[in-house]
Amino acid sequence: MAEKIHTKGKSSIKRSRFIKYFLTYLFMLLLSLVIIYPLLITVMTAFKNSDVVAFTLSFQGPWTLKNFQDLFMTTLYGKWYWNTLVISVATMVIQVAVVTLAGYTYSRYSFAGKKWSLTFFLVVQMVPTMAALTAFYVLGMLLNGLDHYWFLTLIYIGGGIPMNTWLMKGYFDTVPYDFDESAKLDGAGNFTIFWKIVMPLVKPMIAVQALWAFMGPFGDFMTARYLLREESNLTVAVGLQQFISDPKDQQVALFAAGAILIALPICALFFYLQKYFVTGLTAGGAKG
Amino acid sequence: MVELNLEHIYKKYDNADDYSVTDFNLDIKDQEFIVFVGPSGCGKSTTLRMIAGLEDITKGDLKIDGNVVNDEAPKDRDIAMVFQTYALYPHMTVFDNMAFGLKLRKYSKDEIDKRVHHAADILGLEEYLERKPAALSGGQRQRVALGRAIVRDAPIFLMDEPLSNLDAKLRVAMRAQIAKLHQDLKTTTIYVTHDQTEAMTMADRIVVMKDGKVQQIGTPQEVYDQPTNVFVGGFIGAPAMNFFNVTLDQGYIYDEGKNFNLKVPEGCLKILESKGYEQKKLVFGIRPEDMHTEQAFIETFPDSIVSATVSVSELLGAESQLYSKVGETEFVCKVDARDFVQPGTKVTMGVDLNKAHFFDPETENSVY
Repeated sequence: MAEKIHTKGKSSIKRSRFIKYFLTYLFMLLLSLVIIYPLLITVMTAFKNSDVVAFTLSFQGPWTLKNFQDLFMTTLYGKWYWNTLVISVATMVIQVAVVTLAGYTYSRYSFAGKKWSLTFFLVVQMVPTMAALTAFYVLGMLLNGLDHYWFLTLIYIGGGIPMNTWLMKGYFDTVPYDFDESAKLDGAGNFTIFWKIVMPLVKPMIAVQALWAFMGPFGDFMTARYLLREESNLTVAVGLQQFISDPKDQQVALFAAGAILIALPICALFFYLQKYFVTGLTAGGAKG
Repeated sequence: MVELNLEHIYKKYDNADDYSVTDFNLDIKDQEFIVFVGPSGCGKSTTLRMIAGLEDITKGDLKIDGNVVNDEAPKDRDIAMVFQTYALYPHMTVFDNMAFGLKLRKYSKDEIDKRVHHAADILGLEEYLERKPAALSGGQRQRVALGRAIVRDAPIFLMDEPLSNLDAKLRVAMRAQIAKLHQDLKTTTIYVTHDQTEAMTMADRIVVMKDGKVQQIGTPQEVYDQPTNVFVGGFIGAPAMNFFNVTLDQGYIYDEGKNFNLKVPEGCLKILESKGYEQKKLVFGIRPEDMHTEQAFIETFPDSIVSATVSVSELLGAESQLYSKVGETEFVCKVDARDFVQPGTKVTMGVDLNKAHFFDPETENSVY
């Protein structure tokens, strides 16, 4: 009798485990479909003849690389791509530098207005970019920055600072202050402590910040659309949109090819930064 | 040669109303091993951090070799410190952790190599030099933290509860290692702990603190034998000293319920009487080890007997501790393991009044 109950219990555990795994995999499968389906359409379309009229999933040829050739030969895509790269790299470098220093300052020093300005950051980042577009435009006019990269770059950087400073500060806060004090007694000055002790321990967050800042300009349509005029000055997102903006002549294949190329630098950066995406860097240093 | 003088040191944090450290005075001689001991929040760590330069000194002078160093940055004070949390740099190997301070001070590569290997040798860390802190055990990390101080060859070591994160056995082992290290290196050391055993076993001189104030400064023996007040008496020694509220009456002391009537020895009595405590209340302190259950003792001193029922008894192997109560006062008596009795047993205990301590109930200061 007792044995019977025992085996019964065992099988019900097995069943519930099966159900758990089944549901988990089912959910993951659904999610992958949602992500892969549009991606697949884009990839397929990119290698088809330019006579494709709508985004549909079809695995029938003929296949060609002509779209990629056309992008660079007959359109301004190459120029847009370069524009975007310049803006992205500048945004990434400057934003990461600013945000890291700001986050460190907020985490480690106390100064007048610290609490107030942090609250201000929090409030400011609640305003959506869209609401500020008109203000950006007016600002651009006043500063003579319309249709200039530097202005767009500044807008991107400025938009990223509040939220990311908060994130950076939070991450710096996880590095125990004991490290700083220990380094102080070892003879380190403020900069050495920042550069040699604390910075290496926040690399994961810096990597994330860099990736985000880099991706931003590639994905942003609205702000660039508003602030850039001249066709040769556009970023890829705005430029690509022109391929499909005419309802009578949508160059779907060209659009797909251009969209795929956007992913390349972002993927490359992601794989380069991947080694920094690790947790537990501060493990073992301090116990308490 | 290094001498350290703390003269009327006060510390008040910006957002606090009261002083965290009040009028701290101490002259530390070269090669001395000083232990600051006290309960949590007594200001011992704050004082240590002021010496290190990690906290500002609100008032008073801190002198190293006669020079006031209040405003000197930590790195210019040439002090090495071991933190409670070890504070090893997690991204550096053991070697780099120890070498960091030397590199910053621009020592040559050979010299750094020599010093780190020497320290690793002393601490048994040679085989771990290439490991990162995460791959070390708690005891090893603690040794690296010590090594980091040793390589610096700094004239002053500060240690902030360095053993409190270790398990009991390791703590005893590391205690011995630190004591030996001090004998070998003879570096002036200030050690902060809340563990009176560490204080008693390691210190040349103990500084007992409470509520930001120094209660007593003295050798372990002095602090143990002649506590200046009730707090020191109760804090130093394990188990803690027993205290009874008594009244002195014609050579005898009795407690409120007159549960006992003990004869005060001549010399002691004279002093108490001369200080005007006849017919007055006193706090009578006696250490658990100065209470005896041996028949011989009880027969020799029939005037020094307390009878009580044991409520809890602990056998510790070599000795046993009997917890009992007279009137409302609980006390503990440390006796030989052979004299272990079961809880509930009524026991007669002899009190060695030659070891008695008397304190004023108002001021809590020692009167004998």
